[in-house]
Amino acid sequence: MKTKKIESIIAPQMPHYVGDGFRVHNFIPGVYPLTMQRMSPFIMMDYNSKFYFPPTDKPRGVGVHPHRGFETVTIAYKGKVAHHDSAGNSGVIGEGDVQWMTAAAGILHKEYHEKSFSEAGGDFQMVQLWVNLPAKDKMSTPKYQGITHEQLNKFQLPNNGGEIEVIAGKYNDIEGSASTFTPLHLYNMRLNKGGESTVSFPANFNTLLLVIEGEIQVNGNEFVATNQVALFENEGETIQINATENAVILVMSGEPIKEAIAAQGPFVMNTRDELIQAIDDYNMGKFGYLED
Amino acid sequence: MLEKFKSYLVDKGGITEAEFQELAPVLQTKTIDKGTYLLREGEVCKYAFFVEQGLLRSFSIDQAGKEHIIQFAPENWIMSDISSNFFNESSDFFIEAIENTEVVLLDKTFFNLSDKSSSYRKYNELLLQNHIRHLQKRVNLLLSASAEKRYLNFIQLYPDLTLRVSQWMIASYLGITPESLSRVRKELATKNFKPN
Repeated sequence: MKTKKIESIIAPQMPHYVGDGFRVHNFIPGVYPLTMQRMSPFIMMDYNSKFYFPPTDKPRGVGVHPHRGFETVTIAYKGKVAHHDSAGNSGVIGEGDVQWMTAAAGILHKEYHEKSFSEAGGDFQMVQLWVNLPAKDKMSTPKYQGITHEQLNKFQLPNNGGEIEVIAGKYNDIEGSASTFTPLHLYNMRLNKGGESTVSFPANFNTLLLVIEGEIQVNGNEFVATNQVALFENEGETIQINATENAVILVMSGEPIKEAIAAQGPFVMNTRDELIQAIDDYNMGKFGYLED
Repeated sequence: MLEKFKSYLVDKGGITEAEFQELAPVLQTKTIDKGTYLLREGEVCKYAFFVEQGLLRSFSIDQAGKEHIIQFAPENWIMSDISSNFFNESSDFFIEAIENTEVVLLDKTFFNLSDKSSSYRKYNELLLQNHIRHLQKRVNLLLSASAEKRYLNFIQLYPDLTLRVSQWMIASYLGITPESLSRVRKELATKNFKPN
């Protein structure tokens, strides 16, 4: 098997706010070359690097908004988010938890810092990833997969190297905790200093990693620092990761969905007409209702 | 750059390439951040603003300090204050960018030059008539229509603005309270939502 080399290392851009509770660096699709087409099935990635929010009695967050045509994956590293949706679901995403929401045909939701976290204040650090759905599943029934940190399937690295949380896909013989619509792998690696791991993905899978904490060396040469993204070439299969200090790394690799993308705001469809339909359905209440 | 404005002049207004080349040197553009004002009450509005990218709103503030939104101008819309721009009166309105916005500034020089094109003159006349029709309908809706009818008209005119502006701004434009807007949307959802 051939080495999958780094194509480029991308530093975080100036952060912007989503609502008043998420101070994010956008990577996909805003930063060249991380376009929706290039990174498919990963069509959006916002990263709230570790940021201290002071105490408040009015929780910060994002008000009611719709989604259609894809899945949102929220991975919490620090802080807690409470969410509610138009189907009546609600819950809290705590530290180390993953929420995999299949918006598909359409859902309204809102996301706020959890009440007690807001009142105490504290460090907040999260990734939100949008995973595209193939045309045949875009209008399927919305669903949730809430996976707590305890429930995540884990692979223990030898020599006290750390562990790999297999959120989706497969690592060695460990199956991912979340089910997906198209082939993809999503790992959270928690490596101890000196820890080493090798991952392997098909050459054509679009692959990237984000260093959440610490620093790593990739394939024995390039270093990737905290908050940086490494984008990999679509050649070769294996990637070797060494932690030069204790590190947390989010690794993403997926088979591209080779379909047209028509996107506007919270809707990602295949055609312009489907987008217009989505906006009209939202305006006409066909996504349901959720109180702000 | 100026793709939408050129398409407005050439594809819709029938301006020839030669005429466009004559106009191009007098065109000024401005890129402004969200929250920037292009006009404030009391000033004279020197321009009409063509929105190449982004979103403007015009509004007045009443004696109690309450804002009333007159119009939104997303991409391809032109916004100005006619009484100020055409009749040189001091303006009753504010124009504010509510997204990061790129505008083309249309001044007297532009209008004098573009007036030489007979097809653009005709197109501009049509736009003016269309604008008057829109304003008449808007006055009538504000005087006589239910909150639901106003909302349904709004989403037809500005389909994607429900995703781009806050609820209170839509309510202000519709001349209803945010609570009434919320009720209208809830009633529509009750009628139209079919869970699969």
